[in-house]
Amino acid sequence: MSTIATLRPHQREEQTASVGMVVFLASWAMMFAGLFFSYGFVRSRAGAWPPPGIPVLPIALPALNTAVMLGSSLIFSLGLRELRRGNVRAFQRALSVTIVLGLVFLALQIYVWQSVSQAGLHLNTGLYGSVFYCLTAFHALHVAVGLVILMVVLARSLLGKYSEHNTISVRLCTMFWHFVDVVWILMFVTIYLM
Amino acid sequence: MELQAIHKEPTSFLKRYVFSEDHKYIAKQFLWAGLLFLAFGGILAMAIRWQWAYPGQEVPAVGKLLLPRSGGVITPAAYQSIFTMHGLIMIFFAITPILIGAFGNYTIPLMIGARDMAFPKLNMLSFWFFVVSQVMVLASFGVQLGTAGAGWTTYPPLSTNVGTPGHGQTLVVAAVFVTGVATIMGSVNYVTTVIRFRAPGMTYMRMPLTVWGLWLTAILNVLFVPVLGSAALLLLMDRMMGTQFFIAGAAGGKGDPILFQHLFWIFGHPEVYILILPAWGIVSDMVCFFGRKPAYWYKGSVYAMCAVTILSAVVYGHHMFLTGMNPLLGQGFMLLTLIISVPAEVLFLNWLHTIWKGSIRTTVPMLFALGMIFVFGLGGLTGVFLGTISTDLYLHDTMFVVGHFHFTMAAASFLASFAGIYFWFPKMFGKQMNQTLGKWHFWGSTIFITLVFGGQMIAGYAGQQRRLFDPYQYTFLKHLHPLNTYTSYAGFALGLFQLIFIYNFVASILSGKKAEKNPWQVSTLEWSLPSPPEYHNFDVVPTVIRGPHEYANPDAIKLLGRDWLSQTEILPEAGAVAESEVTAGAAE
Repeated sequence: MSTIATLRPHQREEQTASVGMVVFLASWAMMFAGLFFSYGFVRSRAGAWPPPGIPVLPIALPALNTAVMLGSSLIFSLGLRELRRGNVRAFQRALSVTIVLGLVFLALQIYVWQSVSQAGLHLNTGLYGSVFYCLTAFHALHVAVGLVILMVVLARSLLGKYSEHNTISVRLCTMFWHFVDVVWILMFVTIYLM
Repeated sequence: MELQAIHKEPTSFLKRYVFSEDHKYIAKQFLWAGLLFLAFGGILAMAIRWQWAYPGQEVPAVGKLLLPRSGGVITPAAYQSIFTMHGLIMIFFAITPILIGAFGNYTIPLMIGARDMAFPKLNMLSFWFFVVSQVMVLASFGVQLGTAGAGWTTYPPLSTNVGTPGHGQTLVVAAVFVTGVATIMGSVNYVTTVIRFRAPGMTYMRMPLTVWGLWLTAILNVLFVPVLGSAALLLLMDRMMGTQFFIAGAAGGKGDPILFQHLFWIFGHPEVYILILPAWGIVSDMVCFFGRKPAYWYKGSVYAMCAVTILSAVVYGHHMFLTGMNPLLGQGFMLLTLIISVPAEVLFLNWLHTIWKGSIRTTVPMLFALGMIFVFGLGGLTGVFLGTISTDLYLHDTMFVVGHFHFTMAAASFLASFAGIYFWFPKMFGKQMNQTLGKWHFWGSTIFITLVFGGQMIAGYAGQQRRLFDPYQYTFLKHLHPLNTYTSYAGFALGLFQLIFIYNFVASILSGKKAEKNPWQVSTLEWSLPSPPEYHNFDVVPTVIRGPHEYANPDAIKLLGRDWLSQTEILPEAGAVAESEVTAGAAE
């Protein structure tokens, strides 16, 4: 473990914090695993999927949303790289774009819910409706919470709290944002494509 | 390994006594919160036993006060609530905070040579989330239609609005979710702390088995409590938002109640190991500390605990043999379940081998550890009948199941908790507990625990069903009344013997004899510190040079005149060489 001893204190702290974050995200992933299990269980016990008389889910908009989410994740990690190089302005620009893309994702998601609901699929339209809304809403909740955190990070960054020597909080945020991204991709594939 | 900085003890009242970030203080907070709810859950158990012995008769002393409308008689709805809340309180709000919250917080940093947890703030939040969940549970007793009544497993459709319409059930499900969040926060801390903050030389294979047990428990908690979270979430959606996951059958929906059972037991089976792994760890250390011999096949115990941790994740189906599961799947679950008895047997034999020919010191913690081995043996052996499909078909939902899981989860965890409390009390409070009273408490607890849960098993084997409001409503069960009455007497006696503990615990804190640094003469790191330790634990982070179980070393006896060596201690002869490497921190 001599390599760790040669690291500077803030780097060691960052390592510990990211170990903790990985453990926490593993835990949170299991919560989503429970929800995905429910989806699979419900689907495997259903006679036909989607059940007869249920409107077809759109594909184009959710696919666009997947691209939006991926893009935001990518730009955020580029921003972290800029921060590590001490380029705070570029980091702030990247973070702003990430936040805007996150808001776009939520807006599109709400639009999808609205159109699906108008087509006749509601929260209480049997198991299909319940499982569709529950999974997507629970994910959207994570995007919303993530956005609040990102806005706090942006505000703190404008106040000059982060530099190349203080990247811990930003790194933890990127980890969370990537996690939300990966969960969305899995959700897109299982709910809309499969 | 990261070295932690020394932080000064905060001076403000709030930071010191309420929102403390010191793992030792948080441990004490968890201990008090857990013990209070243990007493609460225990009183509910007394009420259950009253119903078994004297169904339809007024509950003495408190009956009129708690059940004024029925004149002190337990009603069917009240009985439902009583056994539901007994289970939930004992599992989530009593054993979990004591075994994991208190011992996990107290022992992990001290035993691995860390100055605190990895994330002290998160640790503080974990406790206060837990308090919020406890308050929610207490509040649920006050709302209209009373508290939860769908059994501790909360199976739908009984647990949906159709079966239990009151807000009490909603509050309790939400409380379980909140306590789950608290548990995850604590467990993230434990897992990270063990990975990152072990002192130099404290390799994984030099960690005390207590830490191993708690660490594996934390890993299981991190991975499987969230699954319970998802189940609770879906149930709450059904109750509050109008989704239809579980509403089915006569209730009028098209949901699938079996889904809940799957989610519940994916969590629920690891949960029983969550509650027993710390107990195994503590007992493995105790038999060695007080058998005055190195633990027999230390690595075997570690591997066995790891194997149980992994297996515990893939056996949950044995709770659901009667749900119309595919027989092939059922056989798979049966096979995996029975395989668990192999690592469990390894641990068991290691304990016996450790005691074998040791110079046993029958201190109170040792007695409780031996008691745990006894009751866990009974519980483990009877589990085989429930894991086997053919016998489970008959025994399912009888008192045999109740007796079995009480022997393993309740009796074993409970006795190991007491072993831990008596053992670490001097370090936690700086006082010595009364050993004579402790021995009375031990004999009373162990004998009556065996009689209560043994009585339940015999009744169950005779066909007594669980969860019946009137246990004797069927003619074929009437002849079991005398047996159940004796079981109830044993239960009441068990309750009375806990008064000795309450007295001993409180009196020792107030006016116990001052404890020395190392009253038990054991080798782990926490006993190299003053009792109680400083705020930052270690002035100098110790360098560990040997395993946790250094007893009966002939060199130590010859050179130092005692039979144990601290984990950091250099033997005088070998000292000249190692002195330059190890500067300070050696015990004694």
